[in-house]
Amino acid sequence: MEAPPVTMMPVTGGTINMMEYLLQGSVLDQSLESLLHRLRGLCDNMEPETFLDHEMVFLLKGQQASPFVLRARRSMDKSGMPWHLRYLGQPEIGDKNRHALVRNCVDIATSDNLTDFLVEMGFRMDHEFVAKGHVFRKGIMKIMVYKIFRILMPGNTESIEPLSLSYLVELNVVAPAGQDIVSDDMRNFAEQLKPLVHLEKIDPKRLM
Amino acid sequence: MQREEKQLELTLEALISQVADLKNSLVSFIYKLENEYDRLTWPSVLDSFALLSGQLNTLNKVLKHEKTPLLRNQVIIPLVLSPDRDEEIMRQTEGRVPVFSHEVVPDHLRTKPDPEVEEQEKQLITDAARISPDAAQKQIQSLNKMCSNLLEKISKEERESESGGLRQNKQTFNPADTNALVAAVAFGKGLSNRRPPGSGASVQSGQPGAGAIIAGASGMQQVPMTGAPAQQQPMLAGVQMAPAGQPGKMPSGIKTNIKSASMHPYQR
Repeated sequence: MEAPPVTMMPVTGGTINMMEYLLQGSVLDQSLESLLHRLRGLCDNMEPETFLDHEMVFLLKGQQASPFVLRARRSMDKSGMPWHLRYLGQPEIGDKNRHALVRNCVDIATSDNLTDFLVEMGFRMDHEFVAKGHVFRKGIMKIMVYKIFRILMPGNTESIEPLSLSYLVELNVVAPAGQDIVSDDMRNFAEQLKPLVHLEKIDPKRLM
Repeated sequence: MQREEKQLELTLEALISQVADLKNSLVSFIYKLENEYDRLTWPSVLDSFALLSGQLNTLNKVLKHEKTPLLRNQVIIPLVLSPDRDEEIMRQTEGRVPVFSHEVVPDHLRTKPDPEVEEQEKQLITDAARISPDAAQKQIQSLNKMCSNLLEKISKEERESESGGLRQNKQTFNPADTNALVAAVAFGKGLSNRRPPGSGASVQSGQPGAGAIIAGASGMQQVPMTGAPAQQQPMLAGVQMAPAGQPGKMPSGIKTNIKSASMHPYQR
């Protein structure tokens, strides 16, 4: 039940199909400070922004083998922010020249009865986690450095434990389809973070 | 004849420029020592010494260069000695040598070393002549061996510390962690609902509110996602949902709706 590939979608008004270009890496806890310093220097001059989010992943199982996945994210530290519902498609199998992972993405802001709605629709929560970290911006690029926490008791976001001793580093850009030049900019930026972090395109299917 | 003269001229020019560089670095070093001695750090002194040594090296190279004529065969003879001030010499030597006279010439144009140095050199030569050639050869060999051993040790140490330093730097990220984190974000590997039942949990939560189940205990076993979808999959959907253990099968109406809709459910 995946969305049909982008090229077949008729443009019938409404939203433009946005693609997410993604590069991921990780950094150990002890090297976090140096990474943050470097990012503060490289990225746009803004107030350092931290976030604490709770993300729940919902699955809709159909008759087909692959379930439909939706991600619901809410902010735990900023009040009044809408919930964020996101759909991410399968990574596009582009040519090897594309330096980033490219997948279709749809982002929607919702009110806070999102989980009720999804459950009523038939979705079931598959897993959830808490993400705590920093976010930086450079132009259209967004760099997130965050730690993933496992939730020990479902629904209780107070009892959490870190999943690993590293922070996940993600560089992503949401841009309309077809702008592959974005991935070149991303790769150039990723070069500047070496050798602290190796940002690369990691195919999740390889890790299953 | 012409060629040799040309060569000589070129060599002299090169030597003059090298010596001028050397002089300048000496001047700056002396200045540094005299004026900044309280702020001076050892690395900075080392830098100056390194600079001087480098310049001496290049000077030596110029002298050893194949295009340099044998300067040893050249003789310098002062032609005119006068006790008057000579402006030209003043200018050339930056005011250090005002007069080209009888006192100045022996110091500046000498080729013999100092008497003490000459004595020491004679001593060394007699010592060296006293040792038999075999012993001398052995001594030379042992010296060479010791030098090469030392060099080897130093280079090995340097290589190890470099790779050790690199290893230090490389420890900024752990690829296994990267994979684990990416897997966690992508499909929830290693996150709460996927853990096998811990303390005292039931296998299938067919009965909601079964007494043994502590609310929110992570003991709800989840069958892995990539398995058969047709199985009844009881999944917890957060705290809010009271009816735990709903079957995974969906009423067909909803299914067809979702199938026919495009990606964006609210499309006009």
